[in-house]
Amino acid sequence: MSRSRMWSPRLAALFASAAIVIAACSGGTATVAPTTGTTSAAPSTGTASTAPSAGTASTAPSAGPFTAMAYPATGEAPCGEAAAPDATHDKYTGNFKKISAPDAQTVVFELCSPDAAFLSKIAFTSFGINDTAWLEANIDPAGTTNQKIVSNVNGTGPFKLEAWNKGSDVTFTRNDAYWGDKAKAEKLIIRWGKEAAQRLVELQAGTVDGIDNVGGTDFAAVEGNADLQLKKRPGLNVMYFGFNNKFPPFDNEKVRQAIAMGIDRQRLVDDFMPPGSEVATHFTPCSIPNGCVGDPWYGYDPAKAKEMLAAAGFPDGFKTKIQYRDVSRSYVEDQNVIATALQQQLKTNLNIDATIEVQESATFIDNADAGKLDGIHILGWGADYPDQTNFLGYHFGAGASKQFGDKFPDITKALDEGAAGLSDEARKPAYTTADNAIRTNVPMVPISHAGSAVAYRADIKDAHTSPLGNEIFSVMTPGDRTQMVFMQNAEPPGLYCADESDGEALRVCNQFSEGLYAYEIGGVAALPTLAEKCEPNTELTTWTCTIRSGVTFHDGSTLDAGDVLTTYAVQWDADHPLHKGRDNSFSYFPGLFGGFLNPPVPQPAG
Amino acid sequence: MSTALNQLPEALAAETATKGAGSSLRKDTIRNILRQRSAVVGLTILTILFLTAIFAPLIATHDPITSLRDLGESNIQRGDPPCIHALGCPLDKPEHLFGIDAVIRDEFSRVVYGSRISLQIGFLTVGFAIIIGSFIGAVAGFFGGWLDNVLMRLMDVVLSFPSLVLAIAIVTVLGPGLINAQLAIGIVSIPIYARVMRASVLSVREADFVTASRALGESSSGILSRRILPNALTPLIVQGTLGIGGAILEVAALSFVGLGAQPPAAEWGSMIALDRSLFFSAPHLILFPGLAITFTVLGFNLLGDGLRDALDPRLNR
Repeated sequence: MSRSRMWSPRLAALFASAAIVIAACSGGTATVAPTTGTTSAAPSTGTASTAPSAGTASTAPSAGPFTAMAYPATGEAPCGEAAAPDATHDKYTGNFKKISAPDAQTVVFELCSPDAAFLSKIAFTSFGINDTAWLEANIDPAGTTNQKIVSNVNGTGPFKLEAWNKGSDVTFTRNDAYWGDKAKAEKLIIRWGKEAAQRLVELQAGTVDGIDNVGGTDFAAVEGNADLQLKKRPGLNVMYFGFNNKFPPFDNEKVRQAIAMGIDRQRLVDDFMPPGSEVATHFTPCSIPNGCVGDPWYGYDPAKAKEMLAAAGFPDGFKTKIQYRDVSRSYVEDQNVIATALQQQLKTNLNIDATIEVQESATFIDNADAGKLDGIHILGWGADYPDQTNFLGYHFGAGASKQFGDKFPDITKALDEGAAGLSDEARKPAYTTADNAIRTNVPMVPISHAGSAVAYRADIKDAHTSPLGNEIFSVMTPGDRTQMVFMQNAEPPGLYCADESDGEALRVCNQFSEGLYAYEIGGVAALPTLAEKCEPNTELTTWTCTIRSGVTFHDGSTLDAGDVLTTYAVQWDADHPLHKGRDNSFSYFPGLFGGFLNPPVPQPAG
Repeated sequence: MSTALNQLPEALAAETATKGAGSSLRKDTIRNILRQRSAVVGLTILTILFLTAIFAPLIATHDPITSLRDLGESNIQRGDPPCIHALGCPLDKPEHLFGIDAVIRDEFSRVVYGSRISLQIGFLTVGFAIIIGSFIGAVAGFFGGWLDNVLMRLMDVVLSFPSLVLAIAIVTVLGPGLINAQLAIGIVSIPIYARVMRASVLSVREADFVTASRALGESSSGILSRRILPNALTPLIVQGTLGIGGAILEVAALSFVGLGAQPPAAEWGSMIALDRSLFFSAPHLILFPGLAITFTVLGFNLLGDGLRDALDPRLNR
């Protein structure tokens, strides 16, 4: 497949703009767009950009009969590309080959390799379907970051956005035109409070109906209070200490291994993690299929760790930073305490002098994704869906961000094989290899799988917690009140969840946005939502989805296959003019599906 | 010659008289201070604080930074309340007078060592502000004219910002840390001392003894340093004493939001910040460093008030 890119991106953008204008003037037939779009064929990439005009596509449905469309418009993505096609693009590592919408109710996803977890992946919040016209109206192709769509959102869910009062709350009203069961409460207000103590006080005072992440020392108090109910959340998460191998001394594998052995993880869990937490033997929790099939993590051996550090050229330790964001998450309740305890252990066990550097939450995540964290960083992950691709694949796969620096080929190769397996049993050898390669390369030190809990007022009916952290408030009845108020840990950085990875944003998006599939309430199974069904071929390389009819967006426009295609295309193609959001990282798409189409050349760290 | 010899005893007598007067003035001042009840209470608090800081290694029961786990203690957990055997705490539990903090360290020892940092903060911050501020104020007041205008308008600009907000801005630029936090608080305090010094200089520079010095040909710098400054110090001392408490409080606030003292330093503001997640289950971890800050600031404020009353000639009885 040739995909030459002889045309400059600016020229491509010019063509894209022209295509949009022409399409608009001609009554907006959609078709052209996607189709026009792209292609593999060539510079068409550039053209590809035109595709979005697919946008046009979007307009199509409402303007007249649906016209079949595809992305790329002609040809397909260059699966398994061996080398970078030109100076401005990296080689394609993704698993998407082509997306087609042959009619208004059908979308076909063609993949490069089998993907047994496909349904679990498309159920994830980032793939909430957007109306094409809405995307075009709220994303400026000529703009950069922080697009209008970050706070001006549309969706098909049971709640629709009323207002995002920055610094205070996000308020939703019931979507009375919802295609499914209507929300029980007329209004949903999501507030936030950084301190577990503050959240509990609000709950006890009755000013909120539910709170996230009850403090570990407050479980008993909630359980002993007849006015409250505690819902414990299983530890489908991991907290880890990460390194970026582009920055010395963490470019030295022996240094990373020494730290892996020199930290008393059991003590950290015993002393600082909530009830129900356990020491991580592997990055992925064992309750996830093939979650811990490789060798267990290094035991605590400070003497050997010191020897290794000396052998690596640091007999007297070194100076570094501990970087984190001061927020509470299901995988870690109090990062200040964990950071201070880590600082103590590094000094005592390895003579490493670490200073503590706290960063603002969104900045920290952006810096991690951009590969700018040069110290030991504390971060964690809560499951989005119960599959290894969501843990190992997202963090260490070919499409992972630059968080850990350069990719480790032995890990990515094994993960590619694991993701392509047709059954859990068939995938086991690959994940065993991947786990062992992670143990050797030590891109991070897995610390714990933390227990956490959500608390509600006792009169909240159908209160639940989700192992994936996506509680659905539309099914909850807030006693005799008309509104449900939930307090989470922090303000969402943005509401366009295609370009978000923070759980505080994802939970909010789950209330108004829907994908083709969604996770069952309080569980992990992927169930049809905007799709009536998605069926694979026998090789699991082609998934054909039938779109539910009669679904409308909050702005009244009707859902069709073109919207699905555009929603995926803008995330997939890094050259797409609408591939813009809050910070343009779109980290979930490559994390789950291996990489962007037209991926940009990686920039040097720092 | 004989005239000179005759004059010598008179000069000696005058010098002795001056010394006697100085000594008497000092005694009067001390007597005045001790007559002020608030000053005595303040002095008592600060004496205890100074002794605690000086003898911290002897008073503290544990290392303030090391985890108690590393010291071999096992029958404990974070947020444990105070355990004093004499007051009925089980003997199988190790004794910790103020309990155990969020990172498993002895709270009492950290509060004790915190006194060192707080005193250092107070004196260095205010010292810095006094030196720079009094220089600016003295120059502005003594020379007057456009220099006075420029310097004092500059001070007005600094004063127009809320001090803590300006300090946060400065620390954000310089980077978090105790030194930078002290520098920031010092910078925002400069205008206060510049104004005080300028006012003192203005009131003294037209005094007879200054006019006499000028008539005798003494240089401007000599007049400023030998005649004016010593006579303008009193209000500066009072303001400085009051300022120390404020500086300690502001650096504690900066530390609370993570811009001041950095872990693992035992600084009271950062201790409260670190332990705040245990507010309900272990309120003593907030209480003890909070009380330490309160009493320290109270001590300096009471002493400052007492000094003001004692040193103000208009209030002399």
